[in-house]
Order: sequence, then C-alpha cells, then structure tokens
Amino acid sequence: MSTPARRRLMRDFKKIQDDPPTGVSGAPTDHNIMVWNALIFGPENTPFEDGTFKLKIEFTEEYPNKPPSVKFVSTMFHPNVYADGGICLDILQNRWSPTYDVSSILTSIQSLLDEPNPNSPANNQAAQLYTDNRREYERKVAKVVEKSWNLEC
Amino acid sequence: MAEHNSNKQNDQEYLSAMPNQEFDQAVTTMQNNIQTEIAASSALVGRKEEISRLKAEYSDDDSPYQQKIKELCKLYSHVRKTRGDGNCFFRAFGFGYLEVMLHNKKDYSKFQENANGTFKKLMSLNYPAFTVEDFFENFMSLVNSIGEKTTLEELTQSFVDEGLSNYFVVYLRLIASCQLQIDADFYQNFIDSGKSVVEFCKTEVEPMYQESDHIHIIALTSALGASVRVAYMDRGGEQLIFHDFPEDCEPTLHLLYKPGHYDILYPR
Repeated sequence: MSTPARRRLMRDFKKIQDDPPTGVSGAPTDHNIMVWNALIFGPENTPFEDGTFKLKIEFTEEYPNKPPSVKFVSTMFHPNVYADGGICLDILQNRWSPTYDVSSILTSIQSLLDEPNPNSPANNQAAQLYTDNRREYERKVAKVVEKSWNLEC
Repeated sequence: MAEHNSNKQNDQEYLSAMPNQEFDQAVTTMQNNIQTEIAASSALVGRKEEISRLKAEYSDDDSPYQQKIKELCKLYSHVRKTRGDGNCFFRAFGFGYLEVMLHNKKDYSKFQENANGTFKKLMSLNYPAFTVEDFFENFMSLVNSIGEKTTLEELTQSFVDEGLSNYFVVYLRLIASCQLQIDADFYQNFIDSGKSVVEFCKTEVEPMYQESDHIHIIALTSALGASVRVAYMDRGGEQLIFHDFPEDCEPTLHLLYKPGHYDILYPR
C-alpha cells in the first residue's frame, strides 16, 4: 500500500542512487522499505578515516513528520553514541525537520564523527577522553575502525 | 484531572531515576502515548457544530466563560474543532481558509498567486529543493483543486487523512518560517527567549507538533496575504478580545482561541 511515508522513502531512495552523497550510502532492506541499511565511511584526515560503519535506520508511517530511529550496528566509540549504537544528535530529536531526507541524515551523522559534542555525552568515557586525553581517544577509535572492516559485526 | 496530575508526578519520579538514553526514550514514548490518546478522541478536523454547543463544555456557574460564549453566539453561528496536537493553528488556518475560498473567487486568485511564490522564496534561503518540492507540490495541488470546483467533502477528506493533512501542515510551517527569516530584523524583536530567528524557526516553527503563538500567525498571514481574526476566550477580563492579522483588515477567516488551542469559527 502506498502511504505518504512509503512514497517519500521511494523518493529518498531514488535520490540517494541518482545523486549519491560522498562517503555515505543507504538502501532499503529486501522486503521492507521502512527499514534501511546504511554505511558511513569515516571522513578523511580524522581518527575515523578508513572505517566502514554500518547503521540501521527504522522509519515509521509518520516519516517525514517524525525522525527515523538510527543506530550504529558496527561497534562505535564516540562521545555521542550510546553503548547500543543509538545516536545523540539534535536533528534526530528536537531539531528534526521534515525537510531532511536519508542523505542529509547520513551526512549529518558523518559530520558528527569528527565534530562530537562532549557536552551532551552518550558515552562518558569517550567524552572524557576526547576532552582530556586525545591520544588515548584516538587509540580507542582506531580499534573500532579496525573492527568495522569485519563484515560480521 | 487529579488522576492525571498524580500520574505526571509518578512519571517524573520514574524519569529522574534513569540514565540519559532511557530518559530520552521514555519521554518520547510518553509524548507518543499522549498523542495517540488525543488522536483517538478527536478528528484532525471535525464537523461543523452549532456554536451553542460550546456552553456544555463549561459548568453553568463558570460565569467568565459562559458570558463569553454568549457573546460568541451573537457573532458566530458555528464552530469546527481541530485536533489539539500542537498543529491546530496551522491545520485550522489551512482548512478554514480554503473552505472560505471555495466560494470566494476574488481572494482565491491572490492566495493562489502568493502560495505559488513561496517555493522560490524558500529556495532563496537555500532550503533543499528535493524535499521542499514534495511538500510544495502536494500543497499546491490542494490549493489548485479549490479553483477546479472541488467540494467541501473532498477538502475535508484531504484534511482528515493524516498523511496528506500533515504534509499541508509541514508546508504551512515552512511558509511561516521562510517569512520570519526573510524579515528577520523585524521579527527578532518579538522573540523573547534570546533565540535568533533562525534558531527559533528550527526549534519552534518548522518541527511538527510545536504550538503556535502570535508570531507564527503574523508570519503566515503576511506571507500569504491572508487576513484572519482571532477571538480570544480565556478566564481573564469580562469580554472576548479580538485580534486581526494584519490589523485593520476585513477578515476572511475567523478562529477561536482557547488557551493553547485554535478552532474555526463561522460568522452569522
């Protein structure tokens, strides 16, 4: 059945194929347009460089009036990412706008990787290391980058 | 009401004992539950009802309200309720204005022209064409249908269908936001929270379910060249208070404001 949410997701999918944003990709899962798998490549010249991080995006029929739920499937070490992969990002919460689409969501998450907000930590250890011990922070990030190459996790 | 308050208190205790993420999720779940409850009890846009039915909503000895309802009854014959989901001003405006336009061809062409110009304005503010055009096209096909002899029944159908109806609300919110940003120097004076106009638009105008204030009404009516009279009915003062947007206009649409909510009024 075609609903505004599903119609809009088809549009989002077409756009991400026709005009792919740099460093991110996403597609609906085989049987369900409401659930997408996505990949974010760690931005160059950042500790996340060379990482290929998997995410899962779940939409409701209220999309785009309400934001989807977005989670990292790959292990992530980042001040604004919770232990279960949930992401603390304003545009996915109180600053959501229906003018955002899948491309802009993924691009925003990609920017968040190198521009964390240690003031609203989702991972206290990451936030603290980011502020106080950048070398140790980067060492931990390097581990999740390496781990992200393993397709099993 | 008392029960509701005690629930709220329990909710607060429950929430304060939680780590951040669970807290966020619990708040979202609660907000969703409240919205679902409201959705189950009222249509997005209701039927036209006799204005005198408002009397039954307040107790007989609630004289400030009963007095004001008497005053309303002299001026208006009917009321049409909208769902109290935070979008009520935009939904009441959208439906109410287009309903009047079904019979008012003179104002219609001006409204259509102004509506048509909004997309270009949004593009001039660097909004993403890809998503905005989807809302714009849906909104314009609704506006254009008014010129093509659509019926009140069809208009109502479009507004009670949640998906479509919310698409119109999104676009009306974008129109208001755009106007606020274009005239930022003027509107900045009315924002007392210390937010910039852009920040205000991103957090209080564009997101769905955010309630509207004077500033939203001024921005939307001026962007569309629309004229609206709002009758304010609250506990303060002896009489109803009316505000016209813009001032000194001949209002095309009349709305009723009760604290936190807008419905549509029909003059006698």
